[in-house]
Amino acid sequence: MLEIKPVFSALLRSKAGAVMLLIQIALTTAIVSNAAFIINDRIDYLSQETGYPEDEIFSFTVKSFDPNLDISQKFEETETMLRNIPGVENAGLFNASPLSGSGSATGLSLAPASERGPDVRTAYYQADENALDILGLSVSQGRNFRADEVIVSQTRDVFPQVVIVSRALAKELFPEGDVLGQTVYFGSDPLEIIGIVELMKGPWLQDSKPDNVAIIPFVSASAFQHIIVRTQSEQRAAIMRQIEDLMLEDHGKRVIIGLKEMDVRKAEYNSSNTLMLRMLVVLIIVLLLVTALGIFGLTVFNINKRTKQIGTRRALGARKSAIINYFLVENAMICSIGVTIGSIGALFLGRVLLEHYSIPALDNMYILFTALFVIAISLLSVLMPANKAANISPSIATRSI
Amino acid sequence: MLSMKNISKVYQTEKVQTHALRDFNLNVDEGEFIAVTGPSGSGKTTFLNIAGMLEPFTGGDFMLDDVNVGTLSDNQRADLRNQKIGFIFQGFNLIPDLNLYENIEVPLRYRGIKSAERKRRIEECLEKVGLASRAKHLPQQLSGGQQQRVAIARALAGKPRFLLADEPTGNLDSLMARQVMELLEEINREGSTIIMVTHDSELARRAPRNIQVVDGQLADFTLYQNKAMDEIAAKAGQPAIEA
Ligand SMILES: Nc1ncnc2c1ncn2[C@@H]1O[C@H](COP(=O)(O)OP(=O)(O)OP(=O)(O)O)[C@@H](O)[C@H]1O
Ligand SMILES: [Mg+2]
Repeated sequence: MLEIKPVFSALLRSKAGAVMLLIQIALTTAIVSNAAFIINDRIDYLSQETGYPEDEIFSFTVKSFDPNLDISQKFEETETMLRNIPGVENAGLFNASPLSGSGSATGLSLAPASERGPDVRTAYYQADENALDILGLSVSQGRNFRADEVIVSQTRDVFPQVVIVSRALAKELFPEGDVLGQTVYFGSDPLEIIGIVELMKGPWLQDSKPDNVAIIPFVSASAFQHIIVRTQSEQRAAIMRQIEDLMLEDHGKRVIIGLKEMDVRKAEYNSSNTLMLRMLVVLIIVLLLVTALGIFGLTVFNINKRTKQIGTRRALGARKSAIINYFLVENAMICSIGVTIGSIGALFLGRVLLEHYSIPALDNMYILFTALFVIAISLLSVLMPANKAANISPSIATRSI
Repeated sequence: MLSMKNISKVYQTEKVQTHALRDFNLNVDEGEFIAVTGPSGSGKTTFLNIAGMLEPFTGGDFMLDDVNVGTLSDNQRADLRNQKIGFIFQGFNLIPDLNLYENIEVPLRYRGIKSAERKRRIEECLEKVGLASRAKHLPQQLSGGQQQRVAIARALAGKPRFLLADEPTGNLDSLMARQVMELLEEINREGSTIIMVTHDSELARRAPRNIQVVDGQLADFTLYQNKAMDEIAAKAGQPAIEA
């Protein structure tokens, strides 16, 4: 038997504690639903597929300081040396490391620069015909580069004529389908799209278009050169340990810096996200705990204050279950009002975050689930004290004045 | 209708055992008005609590309307309290957050009585205790005597066969006390059986039957005060004995 009306009117006559709790429940609902949404958004972000076998790849930078060195020539030899290390699948020069937070971007357009057509922003990698294999990628449509399409040059007098693009870039360039064989312009240089890779990410995962990537078969070895190596995943650590020695053996007048696994680079790039994620998780846990404790405390307080009343109710014929129901109903009332206010607050907070902090629009399901969760926690925290109340002896009615 | 045979009650605290009742024997018939007196700590409240099924007893047999109370479950005892017994407490025990109407409603709700019927009974009972105009007041807005009358109305609303009162006038001045006593007498005339614990010998003397609890046992003496009471007692089937 649920006695809603008398519980409600009794509640109205002693509001103070209830109002505090109501505010707390409302705040918890508003904050937790937004925090949970952001957490989930960040988890999606952090665990997104990049297209790369991250645990097989590492990269480093070579600083050459021999002024008399024919750099292009030397790096040909270095690549061969690297590819011959047991356990190495492939290796080569790149202008940038994927997922690392630094690299190059450009605007590709459908008309030469002189005609100033609209262009599509994209990250691009420059490497030779091994590029896809080094990154563990393959074309899903079209073909890979041929060796004779690769331009090796210290200047930009000659530029490649072909390009491989990611699916996302292809879609943005040509929303209406046929991509292979089309020409796009890198500045004034025309490039024919010869292949499409379903998924590969640029250097900046936090970019608004992290999936727009082009690979251009152009090698321009410099005194400050990135090299990417793909190994068998279980061999990677061992190979990385000997890489510096092997590189110096190959040529003494160079320094190896920034030797890092691809997944480590990605984690470092994302470290602020990871930190925020952890802080939000802590925030949620603390808020929920405080709310649960608040409800628990208020109920215990109420029960201690109403010991005599409870005994009297029992004397007047209340079953134990009626006493438990009383506190559950009382709690459910406070909670449902609090959760309602909190849900409105959550919508409001979500809008503020959307406007000021470029966080995606709050999914209303998060409010719903948070509200249900808060109600569940609330009922659980009231259950134990309510049970204690039900066990108050009816003889309290005559024994206490 | 109420019969206790060799009832005992032992309170077990960490070190001491208190025999609050021992070999307690009592029969109460329908319609009686019994005043219970006795020294402080003699076991009066303990007896009343056991009679009202507010606490368990440790030995003996207790029959209430042919039901063996010792075998009942907690829920059955709660239901039986609700249906058959009305309580009046020394401290009134009104619920401070509920107004008079809602206070009287409490036991009726536990019995699952429909709203219209509740309203009828509550108004009738408030009328009877002379507080009909105060239905929306909170207990703290009333004097002690008025609060006790509300408590009596609450006890009456369920039309109990038994009214158990533990020092109902203990917190009231003598004028208020007399008013409450008159109300109880009226209720008794209408057929309810009343057991009232009191320290007030004058009030006790007005009851048709007096029992005295001394050291957890019934000191057997029964007296009737005056002719009017004799008649009431005779009507209730109780032989009048001059002490
Ligand atoms: N919960 C309890 N635990 C232990 N001992 C108790 C408890 N309740 C009562 N007693 C003891 O039982 C004995 C009888 O108590 P009871 O309250 O029945 O006396 P009383 O006759 O009602 O006294 P008074 O006139 O002062 O109200 C007392 O010695 C008391 O100390
Ligand atoms: Mg007492």
